[in-house]
Amino acid sequence: MFNTKDGFLEATVRGCVGGFLRTEDYSNLQQCETVEDIKLYLTSTDYGSLLQNEASPTHPSLIVRCCLKKIVQDFSFFDLVKAAEPLSTFLQYLKYGYMIDNIVLMVTGAMHEREVTELLDKCHPLGMFDSIASLGAVSNLRELHRIVLVDTPISAYFGECFRDENLDEVNIEILRNSLYKAYLKDFFRLSQMLGGLTAEVMKEILCFEADRRAVNITINSIGTELSRDDRQKLFSDFGHMHPEGQRDLALCRDFEQVVSVIVNSTYQNILQKSTSEEMNIDKVFYETEVMKCSSMFAQQFHYGIFYAYLKLREQEVRNLMWLSECIAQDQKYRIVDGVISIF
Amino acid sequence: MSAATASNAAAVAASSSEGSLLAVIGDEDTVTGFLLAGIGNLDARRKSNFLIVKPDTSRREMEDAFKDFTTREDVAVVLIAQFVANEIRYLVNEYAEPIPAVLEIPSPDHPYDPSADSILNRVKHLLGAGNDGL
Amino acid sequence: MSTTNRLNVVPTVTVLAVVKNRLIGAQRGYKLLKKKADALSLRYRQILKKIVQTKLSMGENMKSASFAWTEAKYVGGDGIKHTVLDSVDGKAEIRVRAYADNVAGVKIPKFNACGSGSLIGASGGGSGETGTTTATTESKSELTGLGRGGKQIQKCKKAYKEALQTLVELASLQTAFLTLDQAIKTTNRRVNALENVVTPRLENTVSYIKGELDELEREEFFRLKKVQAKKKKDAKEREEKEESLSKGEGVVKGEGGSGAGPVGNLIDFANEKDEDLLF
Repeated sequence: MFNTKDGFLEATVRGCVGGFLRTEDYSNLQQCETVEDIKLYLTSTDYGSLLQNEASPTHPSLIVRCCLKKIVQDFSFFDLVKAAEPLSTFLQYLKYGYMIDNIVLMVTGAMHEREVTELLDKCHPLGMFDSIASLGAVSNLRELHRIVLVDTPISAYFGECFRDENLDEVNIEILRNSLYKAYLKDFFRLSQMLGGLTAEVMKEILCFEADRRAVNITINSIGTELSRDDRQKLFSDFGHMHPEGQRDLALCRDFEQVVSVIVNSTYQNILQKSTSEEMNIDKVFYETEVMKCSSMFAQQFHYGIFYAYLKLREQEVRNLMWLSECIAQDQKYRIVDGVISIF
Repeated sequence: MSAATASNAAAVAASSSEGSLLAVIGDEDTVTGFLLAGIGNLDARRKSNFLIVKPDTSRREMEDAFKDFTTREDVAVVLIAQFVANEIRYLVNEYAEPIPAVLEIPSPDHPYDPSADSILNRVKHLLGAGNDGL
Repeated sequence: MSTTNRLNVVPTVTVLAVVKNRLIGAQRGYKLLKKKADALSLRYRQILKKIVQTKLSMGENMKSASFAWTEAKYVGGDGIKHTVLDSVDGKAEIRVRAYADNVAGVKIPKFNACGSGSLIGASGGGSGETGTTTATTESKSELTGLGRGGKQIQKCKKAYKEALQTLVELASLQTAFLTLDQAIKTTNRRVNALENVVTPRLENTVSYIKGELDELEREEFFRLKKVQAKKKKDAKEREEKEESLSKGEGVVKGEGGSGAGPVGNLIDFANEKDEDLLF
């Protein structure tokens, strides 16, 4: 049943997985002396066709751009194949996160009177939608909602977050995170609706995502003017840490408290190896994500692998960015701090 | 000369009421970092005090920005990434005014080369090679 | 040389006194300027050394700052830069204040970073008011990367502020360097002018005047000698005449008899008196 409808795409994704850089690749890449070397090495991998035509001198951002292109390429292939419902909806949902970022980007740009074309260049290619260009013409958020976003799936999230508040007074970052919260909730709802194995694996990973966001928001809002209640409003209403852990997080005043909250939650084992370094907590979360995602490939007949594939690609982009920046900036000893090998 | 210093001092005194600006010319990452630190400024005509140099930025744009920043009255310090300075080296070397001060800064992916720095070159030249522990 | 490199003056005693005074003034000025030049170049050397040091530490600071940005990008994604770039609006949070520092009478502009996003705890009195006006922008950037990477962004912000601090310091050093460079050049030019042009010229003038005066004296002496000789000759002739007269005429003898013995003395005396008068 699954195979007849979505078997081809699943197989494609599994095929793409072979294109990920492996641990050996990373250890080889670590030996590179210059960004040029990295590029040379990458031409022998799946990125080859994309990097080939790029002119020297190579800049770390160029490598990042190429990796992004790779993701976009893969996803446009998924689009091309025209997945059947409900997989097509699921794939669309994967893009909503980027869409939110793009909308926020366009809106901030519009508020600061930037050029629309210039802004469009900066948008994430996965988060593009038809009416995005008209966002540049929007002068306030209410108008934005009324004119532009009504046709997009994001509009529902807008309504949910800001039913009667004055949109103009909302801080753009809070807007972004509220939208994201609504998006996660909706995604969660969708995956549960799909039922079966998909519901199971997606529940796990989305709960993880929700918890990570909660922890990040907490850490990042310590010492800012964001009030306790506002902070809690941004937390998703599901996840392993919901509701007790989140309530504790909302009360945190410093990093140590956050750590102790995490230790008391289901995530106690992931923090064991982490020290109090703030950088590490992100890395630990990324590592856990990679672990969870790669374990998804162990099971068949579910949509989770598409999500996992996207997340793993994202991690690969981060890895390569980190690697090439470290090499470009002559900080090779830091490479291990950021690279998480996927397989 | 002393007259020039005096006029400089006067200019400084005039602008010091709210402080002068720092201008930046550099690659995206460097400029972003400095903007993050809070030096970014847009005046009433939405003219900025920074220029992001991308691979496709023409030399002409760099020249214009450099000339603009060094002649603006509200700018006291011009930070210029070294690889940009190398592009318009003749302009940078020609520039000798004490205010605004032109500083060459390293950029993350272009290793800093002290021998190309026009000021450092003069310093070295004056101290003499191998002299004074240099 | 003495004819070309001297002032065109009338060689008199008064002028000599004036020129001598000028010479003393020039020498004193030379000493003072020399001291100033020494003070300036002392400072100059200090600044040079500091510039080299600061340049090096600037390299370090910039390195760590740009790496902090890499960390922020790692956690927050590449798109985070757009958030930062687009949030630039209105007034700069960090500005530099310039004031003049005085080294041996040379005004050296110095910069001091200030602004609402104060780099250092004490950023001067004026920043208080700007602090309140830019509070909104400050909090805006505080929430940047709330979902992810916020901590790193704050860290990066701090790192860049530190780098800025060094850069501002370097900027003042560099400006001081350029200003001092020019000041030292002018001072040295003046010192050299005093040492090699003005002083020798005045000295030459003094010796010229002295020489001229000596010449005059010698001429005068010679002239007096001539006069004396002439007078002696005249006196001798007169004596001879008188002698011959006294042989012939007794009447005259009475007249000459009164001073017959001390005649030579009298002439001598008169001569001396004359000389005094003449002089």
